[in-house]
Amino acid sequence: MTPIAAVNGTALAVFGVIVAVTLVISWFASKRVNTATDFWAAGRGLTGPQNGFAIAGDYMSAASFLGIAGLIYLFGFDGFLYSVGFLVAFLTVLFLLAERMRNAGKYTIADVLSYRLKQEPARAAAALGTLTVVAFYLIAQMVGAGVLIEGLVEIDFSLAVILTGAFMVSYIVLGGMLATSWVQIIKAFLLITAAVVMTIWVLAKVSWNPIDLFTEAEGKSAEGEAYLKPGLFLSSPLDTVSLGLGLVLGTAGLPHILMRFFTVPNAKAARSSVMWAMVLIGAFYIMTTALGFGARAILGQGGEEAAGATGNGAVPLLADELGGEFFQAIIAGVAFATILAVVAGLVISASGAVAHDVWSNIVRRGQDSETEEVWVAKIAALVIGAIAIGIAILGGEGLNVSFMVGLAFAVAASANFPALLLALTWRRFNTTGAVTGVLVGVISSVALVIISPTVWPGPDSEGGLISGYDLANPGIISIPLGFIGCWLGTVLSREREEEFSFDELYVRSETGLGAEVGTGLTLTGRSNGSREADERELVGNR
Amino acid sequence: MATTEVTRTATGSDHHPEIDWEAAERSPEFRELIRKKRSFVVPATIFFLAWYFGFVILAGYAPDFMGREFLTDGLTVGYVLALSQFAMTWILGAWYLRKADREFDPLAERAAQVALRRRDNGGTS
Repeated sequence: MTPIAAVNGTALAVFGVIVAVTLVISWFASKRVNTATDFWAAGRGLTGPQNGFAIAGDYMSAASFLGIAGLIYLFGFDGFLYSVGFLVAFLTVLFLLAERMRNAGKYTIADVLSYRLKQEPARAAAALGTLTVVAFYLIAQMVGAGVLIEGLVEIDFSLAVILTGAFMVSYIVLGGMLATSWVQIIKAFLLITAAVVMTIWVLAKVSWNPIDLFTEAEGKSAEGEAYLKPGLFLSSPLDTVSLGLGLVLGTAGLPHILMRFFTVPNAKAARSSVMWAMVLIGAFYIMTTALGFGARAILGQGGEEAAGATGNGAVPLLADELGGEFFQAIIAGVAFATILAVVAGLVISASGAVAHDVWSNIVRRGQDSETEEVWVAKIAALVIGAIAIGIAILGGEGLNVSFMVGLAFAVAASANFPALLLALTWRRFNTTGAVTGVLVGVISSVALVIISPTVWPGPDSEGGLISGYDLANPGIISIPLGFIGCWLGTVLSREREEEFSFDELYVRSETGLGAEVGTGLTLTGRSNGSREADERELVGNR
Repeated sequence: MATTEVTRTATGSDHHPEIDWEAAERSPEFRELIRKKRSFVVPATIFFLAWYFGFVILAGYAPDFMGREFLTDGLTVGYVLALSQFAMTWILGAWYLRKADREFDPLAERAAQVALRRRDNGGTS
């Protein structure tokens, strides 16, 4: 698993710089973060562009940088399908959830779900959805980080995972969402810059004609013409559609992405942050063309073994080919920063589910102080980090990273998205509906993956545990099931009282009247009028 | 780390019973906001889902069509359609932001002001 020979010294130095910069930011943030709003929502003081960069940094994981480029390198066109789905998904977020989440929410997605539903069951359901998504996503990223660092710096896999976990937890314990946001902003900047540099370099190699990228890649693939067609990686058409559905609706159910909308002062900033994110993420995903097809055109067949079965090594190999060991070390550092920013975002959303939803509002029934809540959140982040480290080490390098990320998207689309959307838009929706929907969504997506051929490679590779069922992506079944669960639970139960409080949530989410205000927190200080913000009621927070 | 004493209790989003939300929801101003917003968001959502799933379904069921040459050797119909998804996302996003700034925000502001006036006038507006 070491496709890349000793880049030791330089890579260590680059990793060291990234760790040092992010820890300094966290230390700065730690001196400013006081209230729960500071801790979970960065005081709601981020601007639209800042949050746009942070969303991009939160969203584009190692699965995007190394994974998609690797899939394109190995399988051509099919890899690019992921790029398209990951971007278009933000229209779902923009049109259906971003502004409503900002207006209706406080710290977690459970705040929105429980606003008009019964506190405890609604929060428990939302926390379950959040923790399930985070579990799959987080472990995937930790394993990815371990493999990456092990391969580049030649330290033990377990040690690499432990170090990643330790840094991620320190950002959160020190500086909460403020530190996390700035780590994500810096990472987005680094990642885009790296992609731009590599794209220009690759284009220079094909005499600046992007079309030559395709013809050369096609010429150097054993698949020939088929390399530029769909079907090499996703061979079942229904599976392709199912994957597309999971991608385009899953983003709108990812707790760490939705949580980012609580960090801006108003709905206008929330939607402008989505637009910024769409420009950054879209530009990056277009450049995966140059990274993936470029790797094929430049490395040819020769890199296939070294790039590994998932192709994750293709980008580092391409970097080595372009700029030698030094450039490869820089790219490895960017990949490392990419993972750190994503795992920090995941852990802070999970700590919100544990501390704010389960501890404060279910166990303590809202009677604890904000100070206690923040302390519990920090302890929760430590515990979650420790568990993730443990599972990543036990599961080891054998865990398939892109498979785990796909599962996280499927759960998000099947459990979180239906419940949130219906709570915000359907008057009749009630607590039983939310609980049933989330349970059906989580159980069906996880169960369908467990019986899928990905987990049970049949003797003749014909299918999974149940003959005839051969979908690797559960979305096309589990997402409708999630919606049906919400609907059935609602109409079968008699509770109607939630309909009365629908008006408040509805008007609030659409107009921002009554929305939570910020504390004026920034990384370098507190803007004036910070405390006044708490006094201002209802008006002027849009 | 925590230097300031914080005594507020930890709960979810605050409720505001002093506002008559039912009346706010029924107000012509709010209904107009919802109507205007829906008349953009619903067709735009249907359009982008249709364009996206059209692409995904073609990729799944018509790989040969997607692999066909488009204008020049090396460029495929599939890749051009994929690029069109990027353009669609940016155009629809920018269009929505423009509508929201010019049309939806003033309407939302007006609906909120009406609800606040009703509260200040003790329930009658």
